[in-house]
Amino acid sequence: MDIFDGIITGFQVALSFQGLLIVFIGAVTGTLIGMIPGLGPITAIAVMIPITYGMDPAMALLLMAGVYYGAAYGGAASSILLNAPGESMSVPTTFDGYPMAKQGKAGKALAISAIASFVGGTISVILLTLFAPVLASVAVSFGPAEYFALMLFGLLAVSSFADGSTVKALISATIGFMIATVGIDGQTGTTRYTFGNANLLEGVDFLVIALGLFALAEVSSLIFERKEKSVFGKKLGSLQLSKNEVKEMAGPTGRQSLIGFLIGILPGAGGTIASFLAYISEKKLSKKPEEFGKGSIAGLAAPEAANNSASSGSFVPLLSLGIPGSGTTAVMLGALIVLGVQPGPLLMTEHPDIFWGVIASMYIGNVILLVLNLPLIPYISKILKVPRPLLISLVIVFCIIGVFGVSYNTFDLYLLVLFGIVGFFMARFKFPAAPMLLAFILGGMMEQSLRQSLTISNGSLFIFVEKPIALTLIVIAFLSFIVPILRNRNRKKIDEDSVDQKYNSM
Amino acid sequence: MLNTLNKKLALLLAILAACYLLFSFRLPDYPYVPVDSDAVPITLGFILLLLSIFLYFSKDESKKEERRLPKGETQVILSVLGFVILYVFFFEIIGFVLTTALFIFFNSLFLGFKKWLPNVIVSLALPLSIYFLFDSFLQISLPSGILPF
Amino acid sequence: MKKFLSVMSVFILLFVAACSNDSTASGDDTWEPEKTIEIVAPAGPGGGWDTTARMAAKIFEEEEIIDQGLGVVNKPGGGGAVAWAYIHGKDSPYNLFVNSPPLLLVPLNGQSEYTFNDFTPISNLIADYAAIAVSADAEWDNLNELFEDMKKDPESIAVVGASSPGSMDHIQFVHVAKAAGVDITKIKYVSDQDGGALTQLLNGSVEVFSTGVAETVEQVRAGNIKVLGITSEERLTGEVLEDFPTAIEQGIDASFINWRGFFGPADMDQAALDYYEQKFKELNDSEGWAGVREQYGWSEMYMDHEEYVDFLTEQEKEMKALLDELGLGN
Repeated sequence: MDIFDGIITGFQVALSFQGLLIVFIGAVTGTLIGMIPGLGPITAIAVMIPITYGMDPAMALLLMAGVYYGAAYGGAASSILLNAPGESMSVPTTFDGYPMAKQGKAGKALAISAIASFVGGTISVILLTLFAPVLASVAVSFGPAEYFALMLFGLLAVSSFADGSTVKALISATIGFMIATVGIDGQTGTTRYTFGNANLLEGVDFLVIALGLFALAEVSSLIFERKEKSVFGKKLGSLQLSKNEVKEMAGPTGRQSLIGFLIGILPGAGGTIASFLAYISEKKLSKKPEEFGKGSIAGLAAPEAANNSASSGSFVPLLSLGIPGSGTTAVMLGALIVLGVQPGPLLMTEHPDIFWGVIASMYIGNVILLVLNLPLIPYISKILKVPRPLLISLVIVFCIIGVFGVSYNTFDLYLLVLFGIVGFFMARFKFPAAPMLLAFILGGMMEQSLRQSLTISNGSLFIFVEKPIALTLIVIAFLSFIVPILRNRNRKKIDEDSVDQKYNSM
Repeated sequence: MLNTLNKKLALLLAILAACYLLFSFRLPDYPYVPVDSDAVPITLGFILLLLSIFLYFSKDESKKEERRLPKGETQVILSVLGFVILYVFFFEIIGFVLTTALFIFFNSLFLGFKKWLPNVIVSLALPLSIYFLFDSFLQISLPSGILPF
Repeated sequence: MKKFLSVMSVFILLFVAACSNDSTASGDDTWEPEKTIEIVAPAGPGGGWDTTARMAAKIFEEEEIIDQGLGVVNKPGGGGAVAWAYIHGKDSPYNLFVNSPPLLLVPLNGQSEYTFNDFTPISNLIADYAAIAVSADAEWDNLNELFEDMKKDPESIAVVGASSPGSMDHIQFVHVAKAAGVDITKIKYVSDQDGGALTQLLNGSVEVFSTGVAETVEQVRAGNIKVLGITSEERLTGEVLEDFPTAIEQGIDASFINWRGFFGPADMDQAALDYYEQKFKELNDSEGWAGVREQYGWSEMYMDHEEYVDFLTEQEKEMKALLDELGLGN
């Protein structure tokens, strides 16, 4: 069966009345679940497994694909409106999405995110249709040495988050990395820094840190502003974009859809790395880098396009090899097994209806979500009109539910509060929180892949030099770290000189 | 010696780095891998130590006024923090529905939400609907506590 | 008179029946649950423990084996340690949990203060086995060839698994290798917990993959990898599965069972234990559970309380010896 026949088969499955209805129900349910901070695609799909029990496998998959996409769309809403990212790949969405919402442009921010997600989703599904079988070999091309290089590349990019002081950004990142070392070490089984507490054996959960540092810390500034009349005018829910704004998001969205897809193919941290790299690289490419972090359109569109694109990318190893590349696809794999379908390298030839049905449902799911979400934006944005005191209480409650829904444990709730306090002081003392989170996410994986490589090579560092992909990435990583610092230093010198002159002339 | 904020923070971070290093050096050995579990942590510890020295000598660019909390707000923040800790403490003991209802009601009231009726409605409706949604549909069991369901 | 007698006898019968009912309910020899039973899955949703717990609860209710409601609660953390502490704290016959070899390995690694002796094994239901796999174009065709090379040049062969040293994927391989005479302190073991273990085998980063049998089937069918040996006593049944040679038939006297069963709190009341033992036996024999086993590809391995305790005691001894030799035991 060639691609053309395949996709026709797929659309026959997905475009049937039943198929459309199921994708629609899935998309709505997923959006609703995703909007709750802390509940992301993983939970949404896990919830669907018992419901799909006994359904036709192709239909069940349509439902889950719909839920998956819906949850990714919905997740952007809590990131933008409440600064509460529900999963690691939507963290960069908060960087510019939340400032935009604070400026009273919540509707616009949600519209940009929906459109960028739609474009990213669609471009990546087209790539998936055309190249899925070919890309299977790309998916397994990365060994520990290459992963180490990729993580290093991502990690050294922290310097570009430095708004004021590079030292503070680096300190923040180092501490994030340190937090990642808590728990049982993968390569030796040694327990590190758990102080005898069983709750720390598996390390600190991502959500605890993200919701603490971002959402809870932000609650404090909401408290200070609680008496101010809400600044949001009638434009709050408006999703109109000007021609210039569309132009501004076009480039980043297109570029990052492509790059996001490629990174998403790699099993591991695809979506997270894709969205962080998208944000960082667009900041470097932008003509207005100073707007990043303060409500930049490019800064919002880039990670949203990248993470949706990477999500479809992660279906490449799942559908072509049976390798789940992310937590979400791992749950999907489990769901498929329950349905009596064992995903593996032969899925495409033995169950073409399922393979192509999923791909076709992605096209349809994307369209449905865009059509569904755009009209809802004005209503969703209204959450910001909830009186401040009540909104503050609700944000706190949702953070707690989000964490409890993952860990089922009060200990993690105390940790959440602790990170909220840490985040509060970091904001006061001008330490950026993003590098801490980035280093926490990438650091753990980087350490493990470094040590895996060295175990395999019997301790020889040569393993990083003899692999061309690894070597290239490492070189780029160091250049991208050192060049901006040097440039910064020169710029600062010029600034200082001009300041001196000013003082001298006084 | 500790006249600026950066210097105080640097000292704090250096102490943190030292503690982390101390625990890192005391990690047990595992003889079968070329790079043991303490290698990366020890590197990180020294990096943080080095960075805190840089911070010590770096210029303080933030202004004192910016950092100071608005008048009387310290107490407000601490009170909310206290509410949250009480909320977490009783979360599993009394159960999700009651603690959440009490938290939303009193926290909002404390922060100046004077409309009684909407406050009561939200405080009751939200936890109840979330509880049943999670329990029956999402299969996430939130602590039921002292309530019979 | 006749009428009176018959009425009388009915009354007496009723009375006796009522009395005997009373005595069984209040007596010490039987026990019946009076409220919802909680089954703890010591991990997050979606994994083996969670699935087993949810499916057991479902069949118990569907086939009306237990009249009371059953709720599944997730207590992830510490590879099970958080849940064990929780059950120990509850100490009630209404809190059960599902577990497997980590209940032996985690305490032996010094990561939990509770061992299986701190709980009451009720019954074991299912078993899974380990597989040792290599790339399809690897030079080895059976375990002995692989282990011969590992003895000659241990530095050239790396083994990957999805868990840290001292835990299941590591120990199951070490167990077989030791029986084949390999120096287990020289084994190069790499752990990949981000789901990349199979990828590492496919792209040639490592030479050997230690995993569960089920994970290998599709890759073997596609001709990507080959399974050199599995750790069951006898060959498994089913397409593809029946082709996997056991370690034992290759002359390596080693088996490893990834057992999975249910446990209650320490010193469970004999009456409650009898009750649950009976109910789990009924579950194991039910049609619904047979369907679940087939759906997930689990092998049946039923053990009652006594067999289970003996089995676990024996297993613990074996694991401890291995970990001590590796210097991992606490």
